[in-house]
Amino acid sequence: MNRALLLALAASTALGLAGCKIVYDDDKDETAIPAGPEGDDARNEARLEETFEPQLLPYVRDKAVEVSDLRSQVAADIEAAGTAHAQRGSGTGAAWNFPVSGSGVVVEAKLDTRARTLGLDTDADGTADTTLQLGPVIKGTALRDGVPFYNFDDFRDQIEYAKLSRALNDRISAAITLPEGDPLGSTVSFLGIAPLRSATEALVVTPVEVTFQP
Amino acid sequence: MTFKTRLMAAATALMTLPLMASADTIAIITPSHDNPFFKAEADGAAAKAEELGYETMVLVHDDDANKQSELFDSAIAAGVVAIILDNAGADASVAAVQKAKDADIPSFLIDREITETGVAVSQIVSNNYQGAQLGAEEFVALMGEEGKYAELVGKESDTNAGIRSQGYHDVIDQYPELEMVAQQTANWSQTEAFTVMESMLQANPDIKGVISGNDTMAMGAWAALEAAGRTDVIVVGFDGSNDVRDSILAGGIKATVLQPAYAQAQMAVMQADQFLKTGSTGLDEKQLMDCVLVNGDNAGQLETFALQ
Repeated sequence: MNRALLLALAASTALGLAGCKIVYDDDKDETAIPAGPEGDDARNEARLEETFEPQLLPYVRDKAVEVSDLRSQVAADIEAAGTAHAQRGSGTGAAWNFPVSGSGVVVEAKLDTRARTLGLDTDADGTADTTLQLGPVIKGTALRDGVPFYNFDDFRDQIEYAKLSRALNDRISAAITLPEGDPLGSTVSFLGIAPLRSATEALVVTPVEVTFQP
Repeated sequence: MTFKTRLMAAATALMTLPLMASADTIAIITPSHDNPFFKAEADGAAAKAEELGYETMVLVHDDDANKQSELFDSAIAAGVVAIILDNAGADASVAAVQKAKDADIPSFLIDREITETGVAVSQIVSNNYQGAQLGAEEFVALMGEEGKYAELVGKESDTNAGIRSQGYHDVIDQYPELEMVAQQTANWSQTEAFTVMESMLQANPDIKGVISGNDTMAMGAWAALEAAGRTDVIVVGFDGSNDVRDSILAGGIKATVLQPAYAQAQMAVMQADQFLKTGSTGLDEKQLMDCVLVNGDNAGQLETFALQ
């Protein structure tokens, strides 16, 4: 046997083995998601597909309280407002997450950061009263915690639970596009979720929909 | 009284009140109190239990699952009515908790999760990942979203070390102008962190920040930075210890993240009390507790792992 033939044989054997292995894995299971951490992303992707458009968006649209109405209800009694409209995140001391909608004039814009925000004036007093997160870095877990269908008990651990929140935030941040030019003075309408621990806490909205009006 | 001897042997430390449970006794089992965090847990649980009229049996397992198993045997034999546990291993502890359950003694877990549900009545866990994200967000802001930094990682065998590191990177890695130039474990140890920081600084003199998996390592790193005259370096820790509080107030370390250890232990006792009286806590088994960012704004309110 000459050298070339040997090499060819070796190569085909190697390929054959590799091929066998792939087929074996496929045969074994094509769809099963591993139970451990390596399956987190796949499980969360499946959760996102099942819930984001079919459940989360309709839920927020349906439950959203108009921002000025929300402010007065929270000022009167945050526990009552929370019980009526919001979800509480998992754990003690967690915020009430209020679905909220509204529109306002952009009076502040922090765009020179990865965690971009707009300060909106929603009550026409000339000052910012609502902060809108625009990403690409979206802080917090408002989207995960603001809806009733992600229960910590259903997750392997806090990492998988956190990864779902990140996946939700990434989904939103990918969908947000800012118009060209200076946004100051333009009117923005939004639908989203705002976490509040107290009536005095600033309103920071993680949006699911943002519309810039000309 | 053989079990008494055995109990004494198993519980090397910290037994308050009776070995034979005359009144209703709650066992409180945690890692070693050498770390003030675990002491705060045990103190919080004991204070609440006594306030609610229970006697307490305070034991430490020193992160040894075998020892923990013996402590469970002792507690079961002593006829305790409930067990508050910060466990010695997510997998290894399932059997011990099951053993108590089989003896009709409910367990209420704090700080660390176990890998099964339906065995303990409650698992009240600090949301380490959320806390790490809070710390990282503060770190990113302090760094001005750019520059070189180092990370001190905790003990590899402790799941919380990995969880915190992942939480840090989940946030920091979204900022491409933040560059990690060194990442090393210092095993939660202050002295080890001092040495590690010294060599990190030597290799990367242009370092701008250090993010640490816990407060003791942050203290070690800060000491090394001070010794090198590099108090310009931004250091952020995790736990909310009084040492780091004092450093923050003195303008040293910039921030930490409070795990509400004391409150968490008290909550576990209240749930045990509720369960014993009504047969249910009325709550989910797995409960996450949010951590709180501590910086110059609120450090003055921090005392023994609780914000006053």
